[in-house]
Amino acid sequence: MRQWIFLLQKEMLENIRNFKWIWMPLVFIILAVQQPVTMYYMPQIIEKFGGLPEGTVLQFPTPSAEEVLAASLTQYNSLGILIIVLSTMGIIASERKSGVAAMILVKPVSYTSFVTSKWIGSMLLLWVSFFCGYLGAWYYTGILFEFVPFSIFIESLLLYGIWLSFVTTLTLFFNSFMKSSGMIAFITLTIIILLSVFSSTLSNALSWSPALLSNYVTQYLMMGVFPEEMTASLLLAIVSIIALLIASIFLFRKNELAA
Amino acid sequence: MNVLTVKELRKKFKRNNVIKGVSFELPEKKIIALLGANGAGKTTTLQIIAGLMNKTGGEIQFEGVEAGTDTRQMIGYLPQFPVFYQWMSGKEFLQYVGKLSGLSNEAAAKKTTELLALVGIADAGKKKIANYSGGMKQRLGIAQALIHDPKLLILDEPVSALDPLGRREVIELLKKLKTQITVLFSTHILSDAEEVSDEILFLHHGEIVESGSLEALTAKYKQPKITLVFERSPQSYIDQLHQALKIDEVDINGKEAVLLVNETDKARDIILQMSVEDRWPLVKFEMSKAKLEEMFLKVVQGQ
Repeated sequence: MRQWIFLLQKEMLENIRNFKWIWMPLVFIILAVQQPVTMYYMPQIIEKFGGLPEGTVLQFPTPSAEEVLAASLTQYNSLGILIIVLSTMGIIASERKSGVAAMILVKPVSYTSFVTSKWIGSMLLLWVSFFCGYLGAWYYTGILFEFVPFSIFIESLLLYGIWLSFVTTLTLFFNSFMKSSGMIAFITLTIIILLSVFSSTLSNALSWSPALLSNYVTQYLMMGVFPEEMTASLLLAIVSIIALLIASIFLFRKNELAA
Repeated sequence: MNVLTVKELRKKFKRNNVIKGVSFELPEKKIIALLGANGAGKTTTLQIIAGLMNKTGGEIQFEGVEAGTDTRQMIGYLPQFPVFYQWMSGKEFLQYVGKLSGLSNEAAAKKTTELLALVGIADAGKKKIANYSGGMKQRLGIAQALIHDPKLLILDEPVSALDPLGRREVIELLKKLKTQITVLFSTHILSDAEEVSDEILFLHHGEIVESGSLEALTAKYKQPKITLVFERSPQSYIDQLHQALKIDEVDINGKEAVLLVNETDKARDIILQMSVEDRWPLVKFEMSKAKLEEMFLKVVQGQ
């Protein structure tokens, strides 16, 4: 346990020294907060830059606060995921490639601790960044539109966070046996994209897909009730995260560090 | 007492047999040199012992340790090209690996200070490793290998990447470590092995082709040789010598002639006597034993 804490401390320190603890939360805040702001000022923006012919009358229905919050969340569907994958793509692979992983693991260091400390390290970074960003969106939505109840904010945060955690864990999984971080990012993103596309086009057949979690969260925000299919999707996401983590430990141990 | 016994160690990469049944023992508190040309399998052997690579067959047995237990606590390992977390300082890295190896915070800090001084980079302890020179990284590498007081220190080419001064210092360091710890180090630089090692293992194409203490090997392979340098071509004098004494081999190179003989004492008397009597234009007369390098070539070519 003591060793595991040192490993985690190192992950945290590294992410402070390379400024991940600054830019990740910042990017997450910018991504989410711009949504309520642009939606609020949309009529003025169009008026200023739209160049609409004179006499055009545009009626914008004011979106509900829940709609705005849901729209903020969808910002993470593409850019957010891209950032998560890019920031985790070399978490183990780069250390193996450079050889520093071998320097550490010739010491009596547990392979399980090595992998799980990295997982927890990136999870902390993800959840803190996501919380900051989404909290910002909730706050601005509240100021510019209407405050969404905090309990609903927390529930949607947890649900969507599970999906983002799935993405992080999938990236870590490919890290456990591949050395090229570019390749890891490519494969992870391809899988996420395919999963999302198939799940939303075949949403009836694949209602249990973790990729639909983001849709379910949106529905929940709009309707105020959890969609029925969500339970399966949520459970599968959690089970996948655990399974991927265990597989990562197993594959990492099996691989020869020196090769 | 042996710290480590390796029996019939084998390693296969796909269809390529890299290590073909290597067996040796590492006696306690001795320095053992693993000698071999590039590609002989030195690094692979060391990596398998350090646990960074799986073996295809054979046994590695630490003294007093049951097979299958984690032996990493007992081993300090320096890879051929040590790499570190560039964003850490040397001191931070040493303390980090010290704590990972089970030292308390205070013990890790104390050991770090000691080792930084021992390897001669005490001043650079607070600098970022990214700013270290190659020699400093090598020293930090040795320090990290020693941090948890291992029983066996494995060094992969510890001096190959260093300049003459750095090489000298690492050799001196190894001499200091003698009598305290067992060291297994690989090298293709024969003079280094000759200088510090108690025992030598010759690895050639994945097999141990010769091994033993330095003295035993020299005794076995030494063939005294006599080097003569004349003012002009030595051919005619060598012809004269052939009549007076049995010469195994002659190698004439310009004005220099190298003779391999068995009865050295007799050969010396005859050569010196003839050179005086016949007024040979002799510039240099030298008697020497075969060096490790020649030994190495002989062993390898004998295969």
